Amino acid sequence: MTQRGSLDIRKVSKNYEVDGRPLKVLSDINLHVGPGEFISIVGPSGCGKSTILRLILGLDTGYEGDILLDGTRIAGTSLDRGIVFQDHRLLPWLTLEQNVSLALENAPLPAAEKRRTVAQHIALVGLQGFETVFPHQLSGGMAQRGAIARGLAVRPRILLLDEPLGALDALTRLRLQEELLRIWKAEGVTMILVTHDVDEALYLSDRVVVMNSGPGRIVGEVAVDLPTPRVRTSPAFASLKQRVLSLMGEYELEVA
Amino acid sequence: MTSTLDLERRGAAGSASQRALRPGASFLSGLSWRRSFNGIGLILPLGLLALWQTATSLQWIQPVFLPSPLATAGAFWKMLTKQNLHLDFLSSISIVAQAFVYGSLAAVGLGIAAGLSRKVEQFFGPTFDTIRHIPGIAWLPLIVLWLGIGAPAKILVIAKSVFFPVFLNTLSGIRNVEKRYVELGEVLTLTRWQLVRRVLVPSAVPSIMVSLRYSAGLAWALVVVAEGLSGLEGIGFLIFRAQGLLLTDQLVVCMVIIGFVGFAIDRTMYALQRRVLRWKQGFDG
Ligand SMILES: Nc1ncnc2c1ncn2[C@@H]1O[C@H](COP(=O)(O)OP(=O)(O)OP(=O)(O)O)[C@@H](O)[C@H]1O
Ligand SMILES: [Mg+2]
Repeated sequence: MTQRGSLDIRKVSKNYEVDGRPLKVLSDINLHVGPGEFISIVGPSGCGKSTILRLILGLDTGYEGDILLDGTRIAGTSLDRGIVFQDHRLLPWLTLEQNVSLALENAPLPAAEKRRTVAQHIALVGLQGFETVFPHQLSGGMAQRGAIARGLAVRPRILLLDEPLGALDALTRLRLQEELLRIWKAEGVTMILVTHDVDEALYLSDRVVVMNSGPGRIVGEVAVDLPTPRVRTSPAFASLKQRVLSLMGEYELEVA
Repeated sequence: MTSTLDLERRGAAGSASQRALRPGASFLSGLSWRRSFNGIGLILPLGLLALWQTATSLQWIQPVFLPSPLATAGAFWKMLTKQNLHLDFLSSISIVAQAFVYGSLAAVGLGIAAGLSRKVEQFFGPTFDTIRHIPGIAWLPLIVLWLGIGAPAKILVIAKSVFFPVFLNTLSGIRNVEKRYVELGEVLTLTRWQLVRRVLVPSAVPSIMVSLRYSAGLAWALVVVAEGLSGLEGIGFLIFRAQGLLLTDQLVVCMVIIGFVGFAIDRTMYALQRRVLRWKQGFDG
């Protein structure tokens, strides 16, 4: 029925048990992401953004509602769905290269092709020369880039990015935003990006989903119908930004 | 343990061509190998030696209770050239080495199995927790009845003493793996075996290494006791015989050897630990 890479989140609610009492973390989340679409999720800290990604990954099945991938309810994890975690989560006992290769361990590729893919993705994030270095020898931003390389290397149909560029300097950040766009266009992968940076969300995505907390819910959506490449300083960009911020309830603060 | 080494090797092979440009790696390997020897650590032993010399030359203690350092060195030379000291030494070392290898291999193997499966843990739990509390040395008399006073009885008893610390640490190392790493394994769709090899075992290696270092020292201490209690060779045998014959100088020779060998074992294990755990940040023994 649907094309490959489409995601349907229907009436999803999620409770965590805290001190024996249920804590409502997500309430009635409905979200459709089309195949090859790039959406961003913004919202205050603790509103459940990472939790949604965990559910999409299939790491956590204790929720109400349905999450459908290409029409089928997801059950467990799969190489179709990749993630760059908020913490870089490189295994400390593996070198950078081994960490990226681990993602390809079960990918149906010949060994030579795997090696090539690993090298290519390490170069992509600008870490060539650090292949045999352990994660504790990398800076926070370098480790984050390593994690991006690992997330991309699998070439998933849906890529979840949990604040992947948070720890990077402005220039690297801009460069990797371009890379994300390039990869997205080249591979037609569906992207879901969690970010705190509204500019980043508007620059990259087709749609910005705004969440709020207590309990975590979607409060609105802003379609970004600007031609690419987008100009961050254009009036149209600024007015979209105001709409997102006002949905986040911060607009008043911003202009005051 | 082996799996980490395997990974190392694979990694090294895969990147041999890029050896030349490894900005971080060469920097770190230089950093972590310092600290083994330091002048300050020599002050105390030299002071003790001086005190020993003074005490004997001023006759504070009679030679029969404490021979002078020189007399001790003489006794060492005599034991080495006339009494085949090296054979006793080798026999002790060989017992310790075998006991350590058997005990720790069994412990790591079973520890991983018990760490992975509650069933296995529950199966062995009560038995192990009981046996564990009967000291190795308390087993010796019975085992000697079965196996005789030769090396096998001692190897068995010492291997038992090596086994438990390593087993318990392997088990808890596996159980204490960080959940987020297991989740990563799930996301990468690692099989059970891949998870064990790439995630669970490596994450247990630090605690395994600590227990290996501890039980290597323990094994060396125990061989002395075991040889003193049964058998007719080894450093432990010599030390108790020397006491019986009031050959205090030989007794002190044995004590010094035991100390030095223990020191060497510990430093070797420490170096091994550092080598295996060089991925670990701020690791300092
Ligand atoms: N394992 C857990 N047990 C109990 N509560 C949890 C657990 N994980 C998350 N929570 C709670 O769920 C809520 C949402 O957490 P989540 O990590 O999804 O937030 P987030 O939107 O990603 O925040 P941030 O922007 O800070 O990363 C938080 O209130 C948090 O306290
Ligand atoms: Mg989060």
